[in-house]
Amino acid sequence: MKRRESMFVLLIALALVASAASQQPDTPSKARKVSKSAVEEITLPNYPLDVPPGPNLAAFQQHCLLCHSARYVTMQPHFSQTVWEKEVKKMVDAYGAPITPEEQKQIVEYLVAIKGPVESK
Amino acid sequence: MLASLGGYAAASRFLGGRYVIPDLVPDVWAESASAAELVRYPQKAELILLTDRPPQLETPLRYFTTDLTPNDAFFVRWHLSGVPTSVDTGTFRLAVDGHVHNPLSLSLQKLRTKFEPVSLVALCQCAGNSRSFFEPRVPGGQWGNGAMSNARWKGVRLKDVLDAAGVKPGAVEVGLRGLDTAPLPQMPRYEKSLSIERARDTEVLLAYEMNDAPLPMLNGFPIRLVVPGWYSTYWVKSLSSITVLDQPPKIFFMDTAYRIPDNAGAEETPQQLAAKTVPISRMAVRSIFVKPSPGEQFVAGKSYTLQGVANDGGSGIRKVEVSTDDGKTWRDATLGTDLGKYSWRLWRIEWAPVAKGNYRLQVRATSNDGQHQATSQWNRSGYQRDVIEHVDVVVA
Repeated sequence: MKRRESMFVLLIALALVASAASQQPDTPSKARKVSKSAVEEITLPNYPLDVPPGPNLAAFQQHCLLCHSARYVTMQPHFSQTVWEKEVKKMVDAYGAPITPEEQKQIVEYLVAIKGPVESK
Repeated sequence: MLASLGGYAAASRFLGGRYVIPDLVPDVWAESASAAELVRYPQKAELILLTDRPPQLETPLRYFTTDLTPNDAFFVRWHLSGVPTSVDTGTFRLAVDGHVHNPLSLSLQKLRTKFEPVSLVALCQCAGNSRSFFEPRVPGGQWGNGAMSNARWKGVRLKDVLDAAGVKPGAVEVGLRGLDTAPLPQMPRYEKSLSIERARDTEVLLAYEMNDAPLPMLNGFPIRLVVPGWYSTYWVKSLSSITVLDQPPKIFFMDTAYRIPDNAGAEETPQQLAAKTVPISRMAVRSIFVKPSPGEQFVAGKSYTLQGVANDGGSGIRKVEVSTDDGKTWRDATLGTDLGKYSWRLWRIEWAPVAKGNYRLQVRATSNDGQHQATSQWNRSGYQRDVIEHVDVVVA
């Protein structure tokens, strides 16, 4: 097919998609419209978090926040150092996080400082 | 195929120094960590924010008063930050390959026109739904009861697609992958597998519509695997690859993650962890309160409607019972519309407390195949919760 013809066919197809979308009934589930182009696209929003201060915060930011946001930690309840050691080890052994043993210790220290066992007051 | 990946974008934002970690404001943080934060993602209503990268969004309980959960309120859970954010519906292809006679590369158009469309209502529930109620607490996504949603799914049978590809003799499992990617090359990507028997049992669907509309991107556009009765860890989102295997695969999210103690109630204790674990699969029978919410006030002599939802793993709900006297006596609740054995079932019951005081309300469900709920339960990952739930209320 010549280029101009294929362009024309594409435009017709897009117009059909657009008109089909406009004819869709508005169901209770708020059926969303099919976008005019064939590409369906979203942009993920950012919800920045004030990362809690603590010892070795920089190690936490550098190594942990590469793959996930700080909410993965801040949503957790308080855990013992043993639990946090296991979690950090899981990130290294199971998920392949490149963190040295020394850095792992630093990160555990931070996690225990912000989400360690609740001290009796 | 065109598929831009949010995770890479997020990672590169971070690496490029443009991912900004705000100034430290400890007081604000302390407040925000305790209060549920509502956020709005594209194509979604305001949902409870658990995590933002990758997104985990919980459905507020107020949506659980209708049979079908609206698409924009449907919970969201991604494992790895490479979340698909763009799909070209014209060039998207679903690959079907491996131990088959005719490997396929199916367009969405082909999937919709070459196979018989089927639809069913099924509850989609995260294996870790309600994890935050486990005592002692366990690490993981700290979900309340809102990591589940009920929808009508329309699509084609996985069996029909496998038949079109012609499964060779000796096939044992089917590997399933989506468009999502891991943020590190050495990280296992999200992947699941089903036995060849389960994959060909005619009930597993490749869904291209939920509740008569295309899937929201964050719920698995353009196609999502629907494994009715099983926890949603199997419901691979943005499904792009089906591989028939003649050997059991090594898959992190089957062999290491998403495993439960090898006993009927998925039970163990912190002191004595189960020696043997198996991949989680079928949903346990369960019921929850939607009304009242914890802390709600009641007045003696007035009548109230208690309501909620109940589900099991595919036999359907036989009965839901409610106790308003700390489990001494139980009354049958009225069940809502039966939308099929894989759907949840709404329930309601009237309660008119005569005397003032503190009351413990409890709810328990029994499935058609005779499964009951547990009085206590714990496992290290906070999976498959089936404990009889309670709500404490004050009658004034």
